Amino acid sequence: MPTITYVQPSGQSDTVTVEDNTSLMRAAVANNVNGIVGECGGQAMCATCHVYVRPEFADALPDISEDEEEMLDCTTAERTDASRLGCQVRVSTELDGIVVDIPEGQV
Amino acid sequence: MNVQGPSETAACPFSGNLPTDPTERAAVLASLPADHVGSGSVAENTEAPIDPPVADWVTIPELHRNPFPIYRRMREEAPVHWVPAVNRYMVTSYAACHAIEQDADVFSANETGSLMKRAMGHSMLRKDDPEHKVDRDSYGSTLRPGTIKKHWAAIFEENNRKYLDELVAKGPGADFVWDYAAPYAAENLRLICGFHNSTQEDLQRWSQSMIDGTGNYADDADVWAKSEAASAEVDAAIDDMIPYLLKNPDHSLLSGLASLPIPLESVRANLKMTIGGGLNEPRDVLATTVWALLSHPDQLADVVADSKLHATAFEESVRWVAPIGMYPRQTTCETVLEGVRIPEGARLGVVLGAANRDPAVFVDPESYNIHRAKKPHLGFGGGQHFCAGTWIARAQVAQVAMPALFDRLPGLRLDPDNAAVDAGWVFRGLIKMPVLWD
Repeated sequence: MPTITYVQPSGQSDTVTVEDNTSLMRAAVANNVNGIVGECGGQAMCATCHVYVRPEFADALPDISEDEEEMLDCTTAERTDASRLGCQVRVSTELDGIVVDIPEGQV
Repeated sequence: MNVQGPSETAACPFSGNLPTDPTERAAVLASLPADHVGSGSVAENTEAPIDPPVADWVTIPELHRNPFPIYRRMREEAPVHWVPAVNRYMVTSYAACHAIEQDADVFSANETGSLMKRAMGHSMLRKDDPEHKVDRDSYGSTLRPGTIKKHWAAIFEENNRKYLDELVAKGPGADFVWDYAAPYAAENLRLICGFHNSTQEDLQRWSQSMIDGTGNYADDADVWAKSEAASAEVDAAIDDMIPYLLKNPDHSLLSGLASLPIPLESVRANLKMTIGGGLNEPRDVLATTVWALLSHPDQLADVVADSKLHATAFEESVRWVAPIGMYPRQTTCETVLEGVRIPEGARLGVVLGAANRDPAVFVDPESYNIHRAKKPHLGFGGGQHFCAGTWIARAQVAQVAMPALFDRLPGLRLDPDNAAVDAGWVFRGLIKMPVLWD
């Protein structure tokens, strides 16, 4: 089962182990990781599961869909090249050990 | 448990299969009677569940006038009550409302005996996934931020100019709700839906008549007659528009729906839900936000000085007075919600208006304060039923209407001799708001 590490703006981190194919948003919400809201339940509709994916994992990420693209323009914290919606990134073997930074705010 | 994650099949706590998702597993274990909790369960939550207290002191006229002191008393006593006057369990804590939103298997939107189904047909709002998702997806990108930016924003600007002109023409003393917010929201909604054969006045009449049907717990025959007449008018308008939109497609909901293999019955029900939900809410949040700012001149000055704060003022208003204050759910099995035992088939009212003022989450929750620490409110709902019109509302109210009206109406203020009136609980907003300006 893959692991995911969430790094808070404070530097504190949480590492969780999840079933294959779980999204970064769902894994965070299920494990009470602070700073990921996931208001819309994973429909790429609310932009409250914004994360910054560390560059070493960028090549293994899925492409950004049109829905995710427009929603990334609506994030509360600044959008960067590393920005993704947690609900649109599912973690399996290729992304095992992925590290993401949680932004300062989601709302 | 929505569409994602490994444990979509997790169901009733009494089915025998424990979910693999840790949160769901914890919730199931926490819902079991204390003496059935085995090893590996959540140790801090082993207190025996209580039965919901009966709030026989709650009356509908008091809820209508001002529900917030009632919600406070209920929240302080227990997160869930049986409320005889409303004939429902009312859920008033943030944690309990949030838990319901995250668990559509136990808390179904598909309520039996729903008045909304009678008034509007069986829309996506009263369906669970996967049926709900088919309908939701049928709305395509019409209500999404990309289409708003490329298409709707300019239309909202134009409509806002028109209805602000009409308000100005009426002169000081005009009613902010009925002379501006209502026609503005209705005209935006008319175009979003694609009713090119109807007027904004039609939209207002349809919306109110069907909403009255949805809330017709007294089974008043006259209310049903008006609701059924409005419903028939909407059916006729849809039938009339579909052939035109097939030949002349645009960005509207009906145009997108016209070319999809969605049953006409669903198209009709979903459009009626949208007419009901897409008019009062932007109208009421616009009036409530302006009313709150006019009542707090220091905060208004901050908003006028920093245009980014329009969005903050809007969001705080949705928290403070959620325009949809309560929505229904029904349990699919016996369950325990935040320590309160609820039977199978129970009809619940998820009281967002109370959850959004829960002091466990919000400091000084009864106050309107745009400078409060930012926390997610539940005003747009959550999970699979998260409000589809959220971004449309933010755009038409916070981006377009608010900056323009404070610019256009210098010295905008409430009329000290003719007070505004707020009312309602399932839907809450200003029912009268006379304003003056320089």
